[in-house]
Amino acid sequence: MSGDKNKIKAEDFTKNLREARDSSSPEKILDMIPYGNLIGSKARLCEEKLNLMLDPRQSNIGNPSLPAIHGGVIAGFLELASIIEVLYWLEIDCFPKVIDFSIDYLRPARYKTTYASCEILRQGNKLVNTSVIAWQDNKNLPVASARCHFLIN
Amino acid sequence: MDFNLKSSFFKPALKMAMEKTGHGRKLGFSITGVSDGSVSLVYPYDTEAVGNPVTGVIHGGVIVSLLDTCCGCAAMSIMETPSITPTVDLRLDYMHPAEPMKPVYASGKVYKITASVIFCRGVAWQDDTANPIAHCVANFMRIGAPKTNLSGIFKAGISRMIPWAK
Repeated sequence: MSGDKNKIKAEDFTKNLREARDSSSPEKILDMIPYGNLIGSKARLCEEKLNLMLDPRQSNIGNPSLPAIHGGVIAGFLELASIIEVLYWLEIDCFPKVIDFSIDYLRPARYKTTYASCEILRQGNKLVNTSVIAWQDNKNLPVASARCHFLIN
Repeated sequence: MDFNLKSSFFKPALKMAMEKTGHGRKLGFSITGVSDGSVSLVYPYDTEAVGNPVTGVIHGGVIVSLLDTCCGCAAMSIMETPSITPTVDLRLDYMHPAEPMKPVYASGKVYKITASVIFCRGVAWQDDTANPIAHCVANFMRIGAPKTNLSGIFKAGISRMIPWAK
């Protein structure tokens, strides 16, 4: 099957994950997720905070007449930011499973670079709750805000 | 069979906007059904959109895009004049992961229309509609006199395919 060659073995995933944490390079985690490359996101650490950025791309447009970024891309980007945050900061070896995801669209996401920053609000034995925002020019004027629940075992 | 002027223009315009431009084109969405207040789509599996590299399961963002498009189109389909309906919010519950190498089907329906808000529900499944992958609720704004309309999308689509026809 053609899909199998892109798969990573669980032990390699854990190994790469630990390497990324040890070398303070969250982009190594992002590199393992093909969806991150599909939408064109990059990760960077800035003053002990993890930020994700999304460059404008033709293939991310939802409304060509504005143009505005597709609401699904913003949602996927915020979900990805939450996953990277959870994998990077929490001492877990498995891939977090999304249970639910809720997004509020606050402003139209224009065709320019979008940033995301995530906060882990609670970590339990099974559940993690995160809150994540997306902004473009000004962090105080977010384009979208989302919250997410993950299952970790 | 009666001829409906609105729907006969709406379906090709929607197909053009969702399948031939932007993110819908990138992911390869195709519209399988359009009626007043209900739209269904299908997404073919692609390894590019994998979210979990260990299992090969597609990223949740694809399911959100799929359901947002479905519900957004369903909301647009009930408008008297062609217009864009911005998403206010969307909540998605994941029942189980999508199986790799299989297409994902989705359907969005309008269940309540008020003066300024359109309330929609959507569901995504693979083999069995009774065993969905995800379920969503999404609300959309109803904007009377739109600045952005479907003809704008048409023009953008045409100028993308035929760059000299400005």
